[in-house]
Amino acid sequence: MAVAGEKSEINKIISDGIWQSNPIFKQVLGICSTLAVTNLVLNTMVMCIALAFTLSLSAATVSAMRRSTPRNVRMMVETLIIAFYVIIVDVLLKAYWPQMSNSLGPYVGLIITNCIVMGRCEAYANSQPIGRAFLDGLFNALGYSFVLLIIAVFRELFGMGTLLGYQMPYFSGPHWGKWIIMVMPPGAFFMLAIVTWILRSIQMTREDKQK
Amino acid sequence: MREKKWFPILYMFIVTAFFSSIVIGVSQFTKQRVVANQKRSFEQAVLAVLPGAYDVNAGNLELHRRFQEQIDKPDEFSAGAYTIKKDGRLAAYALPIQGQGFWAPIKAVIGVAADKKTITGVTFYEQKETPGLGAQITTIKFRSQFQGKIVSTGPKPLSFKRPGDVLGKSDVHAVTGATQTSARLEKIINEGLKNWQQKMAEGAN
Repeated sequence: MAVAGEKSEINKIISDGIWQSNPIFKQVLGICSTLAVTNLVLNTMVMCIALAFTLSLSAATVSAMRRSTPRNVRMMVETLIIAFYVIIVDVLLKAYWPQMSNSLGPYVGLIITNCIVMGRCEAYANSQPIGRAFLDGLFNALGYSFVLLIIAVFRELFGMGTLLGYQMPYFSGPHWGKWIIMVMPPGAFFMLAIVTWILRSIQMTREDKQK
Repeated sequence: MREKKWFPILYMFIVTAFFSSIVIGVSQFTKQRVVANQKRSFEQAVLAVLPGAYDVNAGNLELHRRFQEQIDKPDEFSAGAYTIKKDGRLAAYALPIQGQGFWAPIKAVIGVAADKKTITGVTFYEQKETPGLGAQITTIKFRSQFQGKIVSTGPKPLSFKRPGDVLGKSDVHAVTGATQTSARLEKIINEGLKNWQQKMAEGAN
């Protein structure tokens, strides 16, 4: 029975993180980074990996320390832990992948202020066991990643006619007037709104059917 | 002990000390690599702006060897520029320049031929401009514009024109959607070139 309960809890973590309460289109958290990095697919991918690393490990660490942390300083401790992992990511990128560190510019450091990380630590990790907190962080990061990648694919394709830096047929050709606005910040707002609209509509239709 | 008023302070102190020491450890451990990476990108930037010095297919070691063997360090006759010789005669200067970009400093190397007027290339080895917008200054499409441009004797050695405008022999196109980066870069390049020309002229007298 206990095993079955654990399994359904994990299923719930997965479906909540990726779909039911997706951090981007349902909780509407972490929007700043969504708008900032999604004009190139490669940058988006690295950002997502960095966030997955930070989010899952911060959640696990917060969870591991939840019994010893006094309640009145818990947010300071959480911020400290998040900042710790982000700096580690930043330093490792600088040392082992300098080109990517250059092209992500200031955004890696900004993961610290990504509301998803703090949100998951506060809402879930500081009252749940380590394993679950880790999974919750990981699947929330995956939920964030898939929405970002959808946005990034359209922005890069329409705005620059490339994907991952490779020229795409038709879109890089003369018949496609590149939509510069897609790679500029306003394009991110449009794409985010459209993607949220579509995914929310799918979600709502499904819920109606279940009733 | 947990009920004591000072406990949260002590706890915070210990936690901070613990995580900070790990961060310090990791950054010490990777410091050499980071410095080496910076040095390498600078060396490659110098090679890239000098005619015939750079090879896209050459590995990092080969490029480092070329830098060591072919490039002369700045001396009093080059006013801060690295130089390369061809057949025993000075062939081109590689001038390191830098200044404030939109987010952070932009560091670049600009290549000038022995006539001190013809640009042989530009490379950016450190910049944090907006990815996808200002950061397009690092693309070959943008950088290759500079090749063969002639430094003007007017107030602006090189001028940035709106994308689509007709270009003169000292003009390049700015980056679309990155007005700030373009304006700042124009300033960095022009100040760098002017200062250098002035120093060179003083040196010659």
